[in-house]
Amino acid sequence: MALMEKFRKTEFYKSIFRHSYQDTQRNRALQIVDNVFLHLHPVRVPRHATNIGFTWGMGGITFLLFLVLTITGVILMFYYRPTAQYAYEDMKYLMNDVPFGPLMRNMHRWAAHAMVLTVMLHMFRVFLTGSYKPPRQFNWVVGVILLVLTLLLSFSGYLLPWDQLAIWAVTVGTNMARATPLLGHEGPFGPELGMRINNDVRFVLLGGTEVGPPTLLRFYVGHCIFLPLIAVIFMAVHFWRVRKDGGISGPESKKNF
Amino acid sequence: MADETIDTPQPDAPAAAGGSTPKISPTPLPRKPKQDRPPEQDPGIWRMNRRNLLSVAGWMGFLGFIVVSTVGALRYMFPRVLFEPPTKFKAGFPQDYVVGEVSEKFKDEKRVWIVREKDGFYALIAICTHLGCTPRWLPGDNKFKCPCHGSGFYKTGVNFEGPAPRPLERAMISLADDGQLEIDRSIKFLYEKNEWGRPGSFLPFTG
Amino acid sequence: MQQFLEIISKPDNIPIILLLVGAIFFSWLAWTKARRNDALEVPVEAALDDKVQVWPYLVRVEFLATIAVMAILVFWSVFLDAPLEEAANRALTPNPSKAPWYFLGLQELLVYFDPWIAGVVLPTLIIVGLMAIPYVDINPRGNGYYTFKERKFSILVFSFGFLVLWVSLIVLGTFMRGPGWNFFWPWERWDPHYVAVLTNVDLSELLFNIPTRLPDNSINPVAMLFGAVVVLGYYSIGPVYWMMKRKDDLMQKLGLVRYAIVSFLLLTMGGVVIKIILRLAPMAFGLNPVKYVWVTPWFNI
Repeated sequence: MALMEKFRKTEFYKSIFRHSYQDTQRNRALQIVDNVFLHLHPVRVPRHATNIGFTWGMGGITFLLFLVLTITGVILMFYYRPTAQYAYEDMKYLMNDVPFGPLMRNMHRWAAHAMVLTVMLHMFRVFLTGSYKPPRQFNWVVGVILLVLTLLLSFSGYLLPWDQLAIWAVTVGTNMARATPLLGHEGPFGPELGMRINNDVRFVLLGGTEVGPPTLLRFYVGHCIFLPLIAVIFMAVHFWRVRKDGGISGPESKKNF
Repeated sequence: MADETIDTPQPDAPAAAGGSTPKISPTPLPRKPKQDRPPEQDPGIWRMNRRNLLSVAGWMGFLGFIVVSTVGALRYMFPRVLFEPPTKFKAGFPQDYVVGEVSEKFKDEKRVWIVREKDGFYALIAICTHLGCTPRWLPGDNKFKCPCHGSGFYKTGVNFEGPAPRPLERAMISLADDGQLEIDRSIKFLYEKNEWGRPGSFLPFTG
Repeated sequence: MQQFLEIISKPDNIPIILLLVGAIFFSWLAWTKARRNDALEVPVEAALDDKVQVWPYLVRVEFLATIAVMAILVFWSVFLDAPLEEAANRALTPNPSKAPWYFLGLQELLVYFDPWIAGVVLPTLIIVGLMAIPYVDINPRGNGYYTFKERKFSILVFSFGFLVLWVSLIVLGTFMRGPGWNFFWPWERWDPHYVAVLTNVDLSELLFNIPTRLPDNSINPVAMLFGAVVVLGYYSIGPVYWMMKRKDDLMQKLGLVRYAIVSFLLLTMGGVVIKIILRLAPMAFGLNPVKYVWVTPWFNI
């Protein structure tokens, strides 16, 4: 204990922790402001913001699940090769021969499902409390974009195991793209605009005329790099706007009633 | 126009958490310092004159660069060569097929059914016209049935039930020089465009 | 019934159970909070408008929630393996073959609409419609607290869309659509050889016996005109009539653009329900289900 006290007085310790840990108003504020991770928060919030019955915690849980997915996803990438020849073999290897491989894959998959769920419930809560009303209109729009990105991330990850479930879910899903009006080769007015099976919007997604090895690579890059990058940018905007639009939503003060 | 909207002081969104919305004050706001106002007699970017020609040209160049880069990035996604299995293949001798039967011999490999009728052959592409699943041939019911959304097709390929919007596609079928059937999946005949009567959609054969 | 229990307990279907339970639980929670606020003069959230320090009062809630979520996730992952089926095979379509669960509502719509509507237009309209909500909902009340009394219309519309059209179609698509995408009740076995007779007719054929296609397989212009009148009339008569009738304050504030957007989106949502009914209801009377309302050479609705 005495050693710890001594350590606290060193220049090294003080260079890391800028304030003491005594429970004072000032230190409680510094705890938030001086911490790069916690300073996402304001120093003080309305009392109802700490009530889980009001917020349901769904937005925060969604962010937590995104972090879990990032970490487990990176871990899975150590053993996975996105080629039609190896992808399924690597899945088998991961599930049977890699210590904690199944746990990592299970966590990735279940967290992905859970994230889709929590995003939907978050939207439901935000709607029911009328939190999209002025001045938060635009943040609702950003939230809808994030909902779409979440679905796209989950859907692109669905193909990667390269099993029957994956290939047919994605075949059905991407075949809808061939019916896109104007941009698909079987959509209304698509053929009239010169769309063919090898130049329409579905071809961009698949990298070929059918779900095959190029599709696997495209979905992999989209799933691991492109979509997460876009999602992180929009998440940054989303969180920033929560603060700038006046913090968590709540009624105007009671004088207005 | 644009200058005015920029110059108008915007009431800030409520800065404090949960604070009340500030009212726009009815009293005229103090004049802004000079450097915050646009230069006198600025026609704005949309009205061209001698003085802003270079500026407009610069912005046009910038815009052009963005457009060309976007088109280039998009074009990058369309490779010139695809490594996909060949679409043309030989399917054995016509005598090997039984009259009235739907042959599933090439369904797995080439996704084509070869149907032999009394007066000849036709080749149906085994891709559901709804969303691209592989239908199954049910000999008992004498129809093709898609497992994805329940579309049903007669033996001729014409749709009669479920969500499929149009009949199955027929592939080009012909006799090769060596007497074998030859099928080219890349040449398709669509019923709804009245193409099933064309040569190649049906191979007359009574041997 | 036993098969139904097997399907329910499939690992990939757990999220749907959670969605169902979650949607019901949170609807109930929001409902009780809204009722409580509606009975009060000042909503509870406004009465508690003092501020608290984030450290520790909010951070500890987040910390506990993190621990709870991680514990649940680890248990879930230890005890249930993510499915891995046979290697991909392009020639063999599993029966039934289903999209990921969150798209099953859309896959269900594929039964009633052509792919360009169910797969492209409707999802786009859902996204655009959701984004438009803050800009078309001009009711300033109910901002930041649970209430029902002050915004009945918007809550009813949203809940109908989310709970009925989204959640229950997902549940229907997962648990009651078997081989061949045929409908099975929970107590029925999924019979892969079950053959449903689904001979389709178009609306003009059902009502007036006007065939949509002429004997030479070209489009019948009379039927095409009929379909155009039905579809365009559906989108215009109601809104125009309502606009003539209600020239009140609300209509003034809403403005023509907002009014047009809201009525288009609402009528599209209603149209989805109507098309489902047109497909299902005739079968109850022993008639053929309706496939299209409007058939043209370029697209069918």
